[in-house]
Amino acid sequence: MIETGLIAALTAFLSATLRMAMPLTLAGLGETFSEKSGILNIGLEAIMLSGAFFSFIIAFLTQSVLLGVCAGIAGGIAVSSIHAYLSIYCKVNQTIAGLALNFLIIGLTSFLFLIVFGKSTTLPECPVTPKIPIPILSRIPVVGTVLFNQDLFVYFTFIAIFLAWFFIHRTEWGVSLHAVGENPKAADSAGLNVFRIRYFSTIANGFFGGLAGSYLTLGLLGFFMENITSGKGYIALVVVILGRRNPPGILLAALVVGAAEALQFRMQTAGIPVPSQLFTMFPYVITVLVLFLAMGKSREPSALGIPYIRSKR
Amino acid sequence: MERLKTALSYILIVVIILSLAVVLILSVGSDVPKSFMSFFRGIFGSLYGFSEVLVRATPLILAGLGVSIGFRTGFINIGAEGQIYWGAIAVTTTAYLFPGLPALIAIPLGIVAGFVAGGIWALIPGYLKARFGISEVINTIMFNYIAINILGILVRTVLKDPEYPLPMSSKLPNGFIFPLLMYPTRLHLGFLIALIAMVLVYVLMWKSSPGYKLRVVGLNQRASLCSGIPVKKYIVFSSLLSGGFAGIAGVGEIAGIHYKLLEGFSPGFGYVAIIVALLGKNNPFGVAAAGLGIAALQVGSLSMQRQAGVPASISWIIMGSIVLLILARSTLLTFFAEKEKEKKV
Repeated sequence: MIETGLIAALTAFLSATLRMAMPLTLAGLGETFSEKSGILNIGLEAIMLSGAFFSFIIAFLTQSVLLGVCAGIAGGIAVSSIHAYLSIYCKVNQTIAGLALNFLIIGLTSFLFLIVFGKSTTLPECPVTPKIPIPILSRIPVVGTVLFNQDLFVYFTFIAIFLAWFFIHRTEWGVSLHAVGENPKAADSAGLNVFRIRYFSTIANGFFGGLAGSYLTLGLLGFFMENITSGKGYIALVVVILGRRNPPGILLAALVVGAAEALQFRMQTAGIPVPSQLFTMFPYVITVLVLFLAMGKSREPSALGIPYIRSKR
Repeated sequence: MERLKTALSYILIVVIILSLAVVLILSVGSDVPKSFMSFFRGIFGSLYGFSEVLVRATPLILAGLGVSIGFRTGFINIGAEGQIYWGAIAVTTTAYLFPGLPALIAIPLGIVAGFVAGGIWALIPGYLKARFGISEVINTIMFNYIAINILGILVRTVLKDPEYPLPMSSKLPNGFIFPLLMYPTRLHLGFLIALIAMVLVYVLMWKSSPGYKLRVVGLNQRASLCSGIPVKKYIVFSSLLSGGFAGIAGVGEIAGIHYKLLEGFSPGFGYVAIIVALLGKNNPFGVAAAGLGIAALQVGSLSMQRQAGVPASISWIIMGSIVLLILARSTLLTFFAEKEKEKKV
């Protein structure tokens, strides 16, 4: 009897971990593409928030999850395109541009939300993606229930991780991506279109970031409220570094962060008198340590955050 | 010609921002003239409203000054928020340790403690950048979250007021509390400190040798190194100053407004401070002007929300758009210049 209880608790904990990790993984994948090509986008928070908002609003109005997801992706790409235009064409400080976008989108989404729904005390709800258990596999205890009794977002994320890994490490496009991020001048001399590759990678960032946002509203919560991402975009930046800009690593890092979050919820509900902040703090401290310890070994792309100016030596 | 173009581009930005504001106001079905009226009435219409602008500007100016010193030296400090939190923790802890001090000693002590705590919190990423070349952008963001959580732990454990169930410290002893400047408004000593800090930063950066070196390091690290300036030392020094001023901003919020340490006392002052530094072009007087401007924007928007029903989140939209437009401004010009060149050919 105790054993079944334990198994149930473990399953619930692992499921929660996986669910928390999914948006971070998706957003992290997007940011990886962007950073690999040399564009550091602190505005990941804005991309996710925009994705969350537009997916919710369209899903609410059309009652269609699919259209909602498309709108979320479009919303994410719109934000990342502004950042791309500013950092690639205008060659501005990418950090500041990202930060300003965060402000703009927090304001814009809560403003638009008020326009559409007015001030109501009840939160409007939208349809949530149903769980689709995979036959047979989902009946394996613990692992099966955790991995194979999820919604389409989760399955898609796993496929996306593999595809992204394959793309970055096993194709010529991936090599170009690295080249542009490491030495844009040389890449340009070799005939690569630095600007086009960077634009492409930022659009990938918007795609995955927007998807991550729509997972928050359409996969996890079923509603939208002001600043719903509450810093998840920044945590995704952490995940990218912890995962060393490698798709499987990003999943692993997101799971660690997700586990910390899930554990925190568990402890709060169990009434354990340790401040939950101790656990919330964990991923950030780990990131600082990883940055410190990985120094010299795994480094960031050489041209990260530096605009490419063709005529400049 | 160049000047005219610059002026034109700024006028263009003002026009875009104003039309954006009009569109937003219309979209919620509010009356445009009434909204603009209530915006300005909120700022200049009453002594209280105007004092609120100064109250809100205080932490923005102080933290903005700090961020601007970092920017001048090439230390991109995104961590003002965390440094503000450490300033707040420091003044509360000092007050706990020496509750009986008279105001004449207590207030300077609190400010120094806040400066040191905020400074050290920025110095760590500064040192990691100077010594090991680790990006300060990510580290300072991480340090924000760590600081926020440390504050959360402290107000639940050692600094918690045992008489209240909520996670907050007990009230600061009277000696540590900043005097009000203009009762019954909330305007407190912190605003004067911000103005003094503004002058101090100007003297330091433009009238002193270390300040000159700080700026030179920011302009060209290689050249500074070649002319014998210890670049790494100055980056660490600038991070210390940068965090220190942000720390004082935290002291002001606790000792001047809340009188106790509590979670979420800063609605993102540290992040807005970065915008303030940028808009103020990293010049202390510019920073003060930008801080006042952003504060006025926020106070005016709140009044617009109360009187004309326009959501106050409009201030965030406007602020973000202004920054994006200013970032894109110079390239807007080259864009036109290229067009002209094409015409000539």
